[in-house]
Amino acid sequence: MKKTLLGELFKKREFTIIFIIIILSIVFGILSKNFLSISNITNIFIQISSIGIAAVGMTMVIITGGIDVSAGSILGIVAVITAKAAIAGLSVPLILILGIVVGTLLGSINGELVSSLGVPPIIATLGTMSFFRAMVFQLLGGRWISSFPESFRKISTSNFLNIPIPIWFMFFLAIIFTYYLEYRPTGRYIYAIGNSIEAARVSGIPTKRVLLLVYIFAGMMYGIAGVIVAARTGIVQTNTGSGFELAVIAATVLGGTNILGGEGSAIGSMLGALLLAIITNGMILINLPALTEGLIVGTIIIISVLTDILKLRRRGYQYE
Amino acid sequence: MNSFFKAEEIVKNFGGVRAIKGVNLELKRGEVHALVGENGAGKSTLIKIISGVIQPNSGKLFLEGKEIKFLNPKHAHEMGIATVYQDPLIYNKLSVIENIFLGNEIKTKNGTIDWKKQEVKTKELFASLEIKPYFINQPISSLSIGLQQIALIAKALNYSAKIFIFDEPTAILTETEAGRLFKVIQKLKKQKVSILYISHRLEEIFEIADRVTVFKDGKNEGTYNVKNISRDKIVELMAGKILSEDIERTIKTNRTKNKLPILEVKNISSYYYKNISFSLYPGEILGFSGLIGSGRSEVMHTLFGLIKQDEGEIFLHGNKLKINNPSTAMEFGIVYLPDDRTSEGLFSKLDIKFNISIPLINKLKKKFLKVDKKAEENLALKYIELLKIKAPSTSTILSNLSGGNQQKVLFAKWLSTNPKVLILDKPTKGVDVEVKAEIHREIVRLAEDGIAIILISSELPEIIKLSDRIIVMHEGTVTGRFDTKETINSKNLLNAATGIRMIRSGTN
Repeated sequence: MKKTLLGELFKKREFTIIFIIIILSIVFGILSKNFLSISNITNIFIQISSIGIAAVGMTMVIITGGIDVSAGSILGIVAVITAKAAIAGLSVPLILILGIVVGTLLGSINGELVSSLGVPPIIATLGTMSFFRAMVFQLLGGRWISSFPESFRKISTSNFLNIPIPIWFMFFLAIIFTYYLEYRPTGRYIYAIGNSIEAARVSGIPTKRVLLLVYIFAGMMYGIAGVIVAARTGIVQTNTGSGFELAVIAATVLGGTNILGGEGSAIGSMLGALLLAIITNGMILINLPALTEGLIVGTIIIISVLTDILKLRRRGYQYE
Repeated sequence: MNSFFKAEEIVKNFGGVRAIKGVNLELKRGEVHALVGENGAGKSTLIKIISGVIQPNSGKLFLEGKEIKFLNPKHAHEMGIATVYQDPLIYNKLSVIENIFLGNEIKTKNGTIDWKKQEVKTKELFASLEIKPYFINQPISSLSIGLQQIALIAKALNYSAKIFIFDEPTAILTETEAGRLFKVIQKLKKQKVSILYISHRLEEIFEIADRVTVFKDGKNEGTYNVKNISRDKIVELMAGKILSEDIERTIKTNRTKNKLPILEVKNISSYYYKNISFSLYPGEILGFSGLIGSGRSEVMHTLFGLIKQDEGEIFLHGNKLKINNPSTAMEFGIVYLPDDRTSEGLFSKLDIKFNISIPLINKLKKKFLKVDKKAEENLALKYIELLKIKAPSTSTILSNLSGGNQQKVLFAKWLSTNPKVLILDKPTKGVDVEVKAEIHREIVRLAEDGIAIILISSELPEIIKLSDRIIVMHEGTVTGRFDTKETINSKNLLNAATGIRMIRSGTN
């Protein structure tokens, strides 16, 4: 087998996605004049920033072989609490810290359930999903919150070097956690657990501690995403964040994280989120009916997972 | 001719290893035919071929005089082959009746299940085995394992099975349950079916079998009428004369009297084993022999913090240890190379350097607490060279390596931690002859370097060749301790492994 640099690059999922993103951008750019405008591109990135940030957390959870469907509910709680804090007059940095702390606490509940008590992740987070959503209702008392102070809304509208703050957050977190997964010992442990939790234990890895940490990190990411969503939309309601977890999981899986665990990267998930947003945005701009969008997104997700399975098959893995 | 089923010149290779080398086996109608042999002799392979799980490379099977090929387990089942494993395959939540008729339901004219007829038929089936059918409406999981097995026998009878294969059915039964099973087997015999009975408990064979076939190293060592053969003769056939005499032990015990033990295990007990005591000295290879399920692996799991002991104490260099988990064990310098490299030993989707460095990764850090990739690469390269691991690079994914090379990576993973006590659970399982010899040399070299080694092996030649002393376990207790060249032979080991107490005085 001859190896070329290009061939090696294409084996990486990230490059495949970048390639698809470029092709799609050219196609949409030809079909719609607006698609490649600065304002539209900024718009796409702002849209994906919350999903991209949450996907960084979800990536770690899925790499350990778990799943977290409570992401949207955690985002909801954080959005409510930070919105209330903003109205009460808390300063922006403190709001951000509050959002992170609440997300971390809620994530640690998932983490304890999964690691110490051994509840299967899908069940643990399904439970907390309902539980946290009920808390959103309780906190809002059936009403909604809007008309936030302008300073709070600025979290999503102000720029640094002409790029909106949420986008900086997303890139920063994706890079930090890609580094973390690749270079820190704990990052190795996360991959090891997803490959085989038994082998990880026999290798002397503190599996419980690592699992707890992963769900805490995930909660932290949903917390940051929650603050951004509240600031961007300017309104917090009982259904804020519901369905969010599915978009996050879709972006993560599309970004090459193996739903069975053991493989994936934070950058990949961010690219997955970008790809999904480009499809959605582009289809609106070229006036395709909304129905087609769902069909295409669904098809892409299934095809991307199928390629993983085909890859496994080639390695001799049998599905029965 | 009285022959009911015949296997002729069956050959089966796994990779480069010839698991069975042209065996013949003949079953008569209405006989109980026992099949014995040490682990790895090829019994399980033959059963898998007869029950359609795997296909032979060559050879022929005949059923009632006609040649037959079993395409898959379902096909074999339809042709009348019923296999009863020690762990019954059941649908836990369904009742006994439902389990018996699953996939073969008796229907009414309307196409619904005829529960009445099914119940009547179930009672008939159990009556023919002389078992009182009081439990047939209960969920099958509420039955004891022994009754579950009998329910499966009833199911097979309903399918009009012609050949029953029992694979160590009594291994997890109580004595009463085993007694009841033997009675059921006698009843089956009267129904003119053939029974192939695999067991390690040689006493049972004399109790229920008509004939016995001995396998050794993938070959048939002969079929005998049980009336004409003794227990000793069977053990001798299983072990083979050559084994006990021809294999020269390549190393001599260097253990001197004034050396202190590195590890002392005093009267540890748990669910899996009772009252286990032994000492381990630096530079020696202590063999642990016994059959699968004898508890030897579980003792090692305790030393590595995977199973808690209920009683007893463990000392390292005279200090009492509390080993709660593998990371504590590793800190004390005790490491365990697990038996199942694919599920417990290695991360097969990840690359060589990841696998070798994982126990040490926390120590390979430099600036910004970052893993030192250079050091990681060098560590992997060092062991690739030392253990002659055949791989294109340190980034090769484990699942792309041969079994032998994977096993070497597993060795490298633990050697990199500089262990003081190295526990090897079947270190040459599933590797070819060449790699096996390399691993053997490496084990000896490690012992000569002063590492204390515990070696578990199911292969007698291996354990006899390498060990300075051997402890044999049977059903959770120690049944033999051998520490001289004269006493370490396959006959003694097999006797102890099959439950005859062989403990000699004067050993520790």
